[in-house]
Amino acid sequence: MARGDAEFVEFARAASARLVHAAYLMTGDHHQAEDAAQTALVRTYASWSRIQDDDAYGYARRTLVNHLIDGWRRPMREYPSADVPEQRRGDVADEVATRRWLITILGALNPRERAIVVLRYYFDLPEAQVARELAVSVGTVKSTSSRALEKLRGVTHRTADEEARR
Amino acid sequence: MSELDRLRHAMRETERPDTVLDLAAVMREGRRLRTRRRVAGAGAATLATGLAAVVVVVAVGAPGPGDPVPAEQPPPVAVAPPSVGVSPWAGQSLEPTPLPTMARDEPPPKPMGQIVDTGVRHGTDRRVYYFVPVSVPGEPKVTIGLAAGRQAPDGALTTDFLVNDVMGSDRRAGFHQIGYDEGTGAAAPVPTFGYFVGPANRIIGTVDGRQVDARVARWSADKQVVIFWFDPARLTPGERLDGIIARDGDGRLL
Repeated sequence: MARGDAEFVEFARAASARLVHAAYLMTGDHHQAEDAAQTALVRTYASWSRIQDDDAYGYARRTLVNHLIDGWRRPMREYPSADVPEQRRGDVADEVATRRWLITILGALNPRERAIVVLRYYFDLPEAQVARELAVSVGTVKSTSSRALEKLRGVTHRTADEEARR
Repeated sequence: MSELDRLRHAMRETERPDTVLDLAAVMREGRRLRTRRRVAGAGAATLATGLAAVVVVVAVGAPGPGDPVPAEQPPPVAVAPPSVGVSPWAGQSLEPTPLPTMARDEPPPKPMGQIVDTGVRHGTDRRVYYFVPVSVPGEPKVTIGLAAGRQAPDGALTTDFLVNDVMGSDRRAGFHQIGYDEGTGAAAPVPTFGYFVGPANRIIGTVDGRQVDARVARWSADKQVVIFWFDPARLTPGERLDGIIARDGDGRLL
């Protein structure tokens, strides 16, 4: 294997889980998430000689998010109870509950809000970088982020109320 | 724990560290994509009539089979990386190809008429649109394509991609193709753009029930041709429009 290829494989192994998970957070669909991450890595590999010494992870992340943006109007489709991964840590019931809560609240967001939430709070990118990556203004990131968090609070409170009534 | 903390925690907690992708397939596809980029970059600007596949191939933004169709369907249009000549290979590519690196070795097409400065900046570069000459075999009425490019402070142009008709007349009244950024993580995403032939004063796109006014500029070489683009702050590059209309100075639908 050429040196560049070996470096790519190392990079891809390290980055795959986060890319797939980010895609899952944006789509709610494991299969679509894996496809999207795979597509992002294909494009990253195709440009590897140009980007490997730069920010390869950033390139893969931008490619992934922009690829998913093409499907922005699609709804969240999957519910976590149908597909629980093998557990290596923590309590299964807790993780299922967390996953269900996560999908419920992310499902309440529109696709742009979801993308911004994932970039801001999963990838921990600063607002200015989120704005650059989504080609929107910093003001749009701030207002969308704020609106998204407002929705999250609303959903959380509704969920808590429903649980209390049971 | 605040909602935000809980959200952060949940997003990390549910990550699956054992995720495995088929890296052999990734590299195989990546090699194919790299080859297609080279082929496309080696020359494919003027496209033969009926090369429907070509629209998909090099198309950075031509709607794919699963994409929403704009309310007013434009005529068949080719979207190609800028360069010269007809590529015998063009039809062999089967999926959209990112453009940022495709045309760098090609001489930039010479703009016809004045370059339109959108006011959008990519670092020190300015996002610009301009028409360039194209030729389509058997289609003598297709002579121009609209290019999206960037202009450096020294005036140098980098053409990202162009859209042009592949049949009929490039001056037919109405909308022609709408160019969408493909969204491949390029440092300079291209705002959605296109041109309309007719006395349009306003171009209005619809997306998710929201109306977005495009910015418009008449082409210096033919005042019937209205170049339009959507401010990326109002319409995210690559986001498909659900519909688009044009109105004249009196507000009449064209």
